[in-house]
Amino acid sequence: MFATSSQRHFWMFKDETDVSNARLSANIKYISSRGRNMTVAERETHFLNVVEEKSLIMSYEYQLRDFCRKFHPPMPRYVVGTALHYLKRFYVNNSVMDYPPKEILVTCVYLSCKVEEFNVSMDQFVGNLKGDREKAASIILNNELLLMQQLDYQLTVHNPFRPLEGLMIDMKTRFPTFSDPERLRPGIDEFLEQVFYTDAILIYSPSQISLAAIIHSASTSKENVDEYITKILFSEDQKRLLNLIEAVKKIRVMVRNVQLPHRDTIKALEKKLALCCNPDNNSESPAFKKRMKQSFDDEESFEDGQYPSASSDQVRSMLMGLSEMGKI
Amino acid sequence: MDDYQTCPKCKTTKYRNPAMILMVNACGHALCESCVELLFAKGSGACPECKCPLRRNNFRIQLFEDPAVDKEVDIRKRILKEFNKRQEDFPTLREYNDYLEEVETIIFNLVFDIDPTNTNKMIDNYKKENKDITQKNRNRQSQEEMELEELLEAEKAQQCEKANLYVNAELEEKKQKHKAREKLIDELMFSDADAKSIVASHAQATAALAKEQPKAAAQAGSGVVKSSKFSSGIQIGLRGHHTNSFLPIPKQEDLPLYRYTAPVFDYDGPPPPSIEMLGKLNYFANIRAANITERAGGYTEAMSCCRALQEAMGGLFYSPQSTHKTAVLATISTEDTDDMETT
Repeated sequence: MFATSSQRHFWMFKDETDVSNARLSANIKYISSRGRNMTVAERETHFLNVVEEKSLIMSYEYQLRDFCRKFHPPMPRYVVGTALHYLKRFYVNNSVMDYPPKEILVTCVYLSCKVEEFNVSMDQFVGNLKGDREKAASIILNNELLLMQQLDYQLTVHNPFRPLEGLMIDMKTRFPTFSDPERLRPGIDEFLEQVFYTDAILIYSPSQISLAAIIHSASTSKENVDEYITKILFSEDQKRLLNLIEAVKKIRVMVRNVQLPHRDTIKALEKKLALCCNPDNNSESPAFKKRMKQSFDDEESFEDGQYPSASSDQVRSMLMGLSEMGKI
Repeated sequence: MDDYQTCPKCKTTKYRNPAMILMVNACGHALCESCVELLFAKGSGACPECKCPLRRNNFRIQLFEDPAVDKEVDIRKRILKEFNKRQEDFPTLREYNDYLEEVETIIFNLVFDIDPTNTNKMIDNYKKENKDITQKNRNRQSQEEMELEELLEAEKAQQCEKANLYVNAELEEKKQKHKAREKLIDELMFSDADAKSIVASHAQATAALAKEQPKAAAQAGSGVVKSSKFSSGIQIGLRGHHTNSFLPIPKQEDLPLYRYTAPVFDYDGPPPPSIEMLGKLNYFANIRAANITERAGGYTEAMSCCRALQEAMGGLFYSPQSTHKTAVLATISTEDTDDMETT
């Protein structure tokens, strides 16, 4: 249940400023560790700031949605919801520049398939990706543990879909004057799709979000479900009703303000990202490839009893990568 | 494990000669059987490694892999025959521990050949002083051993009896079957009744007999218990006052009984209807009914309905809080700075 879950106890924020503060601290940490030798002005131009990071993440969330929509076999919505949750949580703690979002994206989807018991073998999974499949498989497997570690190994996610079904059933049973709540479904589905692009899932409980979806859809079709809420759900607790109304209002505002960033801005940001990203974690960079090759070669010589002789700056880059992970 | 045990003299291993048995002597070194015979055929009698004089009957078959262990076990047995005092013989625990330490020192010295003259003197002194106590303890020990042996014998006898019973029962069964068959044949030959009815009645009779057999066997089995008491009530043997020491588990004092307390769920929302009430409140009209295969597995619509309702109601009263670790750390640090400013 949500009330006793790790989601509520460890992954909730008070409001949007809280969430952005967390992202800000991750951003600052990365910039200060990488841009030690630059001036303030240089850092501004070289590194991404928090707003830019946020837009980038939103664009990647759209990409995740698209990927899951085209997924074969067809992916149920709660798997997509869990994957989006993981992505959001990961990038609350870490900066976009630190770990390449494309890789984390596929790893999130893979992990969420496992956790939500939607069985897809690795071959089937990478069959849905374009490009080099072996490489993709190895990327996913390498990043899986990292992702779990950054999520503090708290993998159970409560999505708004089951509370939605419960509320529907309840409405049909206890509020028969409202005819056929199924009419509200299309509006609800759209609302829930949009809500995953906001931070509402990190601030409010899933049942509140699904109730907001019902209210929103009802008001767009000019219906009124207030009676249901006041008389039946909250008949005993009037003060909590105010709390809920407040929450629902805020959620609807957040969803209304969702704006997909422009493609050109995204392209520019991605170019900037390629310059300032952390080469140790980016599997494309030559430094990473060289390090991997070196460690692979050294593994063979271990058996003779010799120890690897890494060059000094390789050791330094490895240590920096390790120390950053340690700080996080 | 067996493969690399080598005789130090002839260097054969168990791998090469699987029948080889290592014998260990009083000084703790191992020799294979054939080497032992060889050694004493020539009449010499010195250990090939340490040159101490040996006797033929001092060679024992090795029980442990490490001959040093065997040597120690031998010495220990020998010494403990002499030093057999028990805790009851000492007024305080401290003295008993001192005695034990003395025994261990003696054994240690003998195993590693440290200061043999002194050690032997100690042994002789002890022997002289404690001759009678040693003798008494020896008798007591033999009594206990006797009791154990008796128990073992009784068990064995019981098992034999049971086995015999089964054999007898089987024989009886066979005899009865044989008799019944002969009776059937006789009747078929000599009586004038219908053949089929005779066969049917015999089949019934054998079925009835088969039912009675196990009952008879059970009764017979319980009648063979060895009597442990004379008719006047006196216990046979010395078992009487020792039975309480053979309890397998010591009796426990009465602990408070377990009481079931139903778990309490805090939904943080309006309470959902309980699973028993769902049918009466007509929730099932709005949920997909379970098909036959699902119901066979034990699934009912009530389960998914209840779960959906619980999740829907749970968390509705939730108000946003900061539980994420970065937020929590931030609040802690701001509190600290506040404190510092006021002081």
